[in-house]
Amino acid sequence: MGRVKLPIGPQHPALKEPENFTITLDGERVVDVDIRIGYTHRGIEKLMESRTYTQNLYLVERICGICSYAHVENFTQNVEEILGLQIPKRAEYIRTLFLELERLHSHFLWLGVAGHEIGFDTLFMYTWQDREVVQDLLEMISGNRVNYAMNAIGGVRRDVSQEHRKKVLEGMDYLEKRAAYYKEVAINEKTILARAENVGILKPKDALRLAAVGPTARASGVTVDIRKDDPYASYLDTPFEVITTNTNDVLGRVVVRVLEVFESIKIIRYLMEHLPEGEILMKAPRKVPEGESISHTEAPRGEDFHYLRSNGTEKPERYKVRTPTLANLPAVAEMLKETYLADVPIIIAAIDPCMGCMDRVLLVKDGEEKPGEIIDAEQLRRYSIKWYEERGWKA
Amino acid sequence: MTTTEELILEVLKDLPVQMKRNHRLFLTIPRGDLIKTMNILSSELAIQHLSTITARDTGNELEILYHFFLKGVMITIRTTCPKDDPTIESIVKVFPSAILYEREIHDILGIVPAGHPDLRRLILPDEWVGGYPLRKDWKQPAEQEAEE
Repeated sequence: MGRVKLPIGPQHPALKEPENFTITLDGERVVDVDIRIGYTHRGIEKLMESRTYTQNLYLVERICGICSYAHVENFTQNVEEILGLQIPKRAEYIRTLFLELERLHSHFLWLGVAGHEIGFDTLFMYTWQDREVVQDLLEMISGNRVNYAMNAIGGVRRDVSQEHRKKVLEGMDYLEKRAAYYKEVAINEKTILARAENVGILKPKDALRLAAVGPTARASGVTVDIRKDDPYASYLDTPFEVITTNTNDVLGRVVVRVLEVFESIKIIRYLMEHLPEGEILMKAPRKVPEGESISHTEAPRGEDFHYLRSNGTEKPERYKVRTPTLANLPAVAEMLKETYLADVPIIIAAIDPCMGCMDRVLLVKDGEEKPGEIIDAEQLRRYSIKWYEERGWKA
Repeated sequence: MTTTEELILEVLKDLPVQMKRNHRLFLTIPRGDLIKTMNILSSELAIQHLSTITARDTGNELEILYHFFLKGVMITIRTTCPKDDPTIESIVKVFPSAILYEREIHDILGIVPAGHPDLRRLILPDEWVGGYPLRKDWKQPAEQEAEE
């Protein structure tokens, strides 16, 4: 059988970073991968130059629908650094609470998506039900399930009451029990092991060379976590461990995220028990003096990088955002080499990108630019489950 | 100052490194020295993590910032190129992770990284003919029509 080029993607308009993977196949083996992105480019960086800092606060939050808070945290940190504001301690703790609640809901969401990709839909139902607990806590404090609008330049907009603290701690007790169950499942369940072990290998040297970030890098044994390396918000005060594994495969990426859930719960408990008294917001000027600032945070998917250049007016001169999925794309191309087509959905899912990239699949024969058969993501997912079932694997 | 910062300042002692705050170092170099500086970062400091590349329009020039991250310290290398000759050396040979970031600055600001293996568009559509959106003189098609 000759080589076949298989473009996967590009997009689903509701998601943040659709991609197109053109996969060259030799039989069922992946030989080469090409990445094409930009299908829902919204021009946010350009738009920010024509909006005030207050308006941008809400625009930045809409870069992503899942890790929206990591973006707004970066933006406020950048503006506050140039203004020279040292925000109240209580505000820092509340921001950290939101960063960790966001990580919790994102990791639960991811675990469900990964389960769905390999045809293990029970796991999907369980984790998404548990994720609702986090969503309810977010809504209770901020009024919103997503895009919490918690931050202002100089602090946070809403306080955490005694009642909230009690509810958050109760929620953590429940989630800890559930996470313990998922840990058992991830390590022992044959359904997962058969599909995740030794699949999508990313060697430590490649993770470093290709500058992979977040759980993707940590599952290859690279100890990198911006919360520890370059502490922001209240991470310097907060005890937690950086989780790494050295299996370099999809299973490692599952294990890292499940164990990180425990660390997030630990952090949230610490924050709720040590929440300092005091103000939550200080007054900030509308105009930002000339300057530049870099802020990066450990978003659920990895390092989220923001750069601000201000010019003394109330609008930014230049604002740059680099999201973790973009940083992980070269690593995905590396992971996909020499794997089976049937493993492609779970390998791509394992970096936790938007799933939009799997929307449309187009078959091109022997590198001719003539479209062959068009299948969609759902068909590819089913193909992958069937392929494994024929080889004795059962969901 | 952390030990990492001391180490970096020692290695780069002949260069005009500016420390903006803890964990943030900036270094401005002429574009001719780009590869030389990248080699120093790669071989003498063993830096591997390129966070991203930022570029911006400063009027007559284009400014390019390479953001590296080493053990908690963000090191930014700043260089410029004139708008009428927007070429710089590609750093992909030294830092393979620059491949997408260089495509991005080429796409949105028209900076040409010489020696880049694959300069297709990254963000804008393949059939885009509307210029470089992140340059300051760029106007949205609707604004342009209104002027004409």
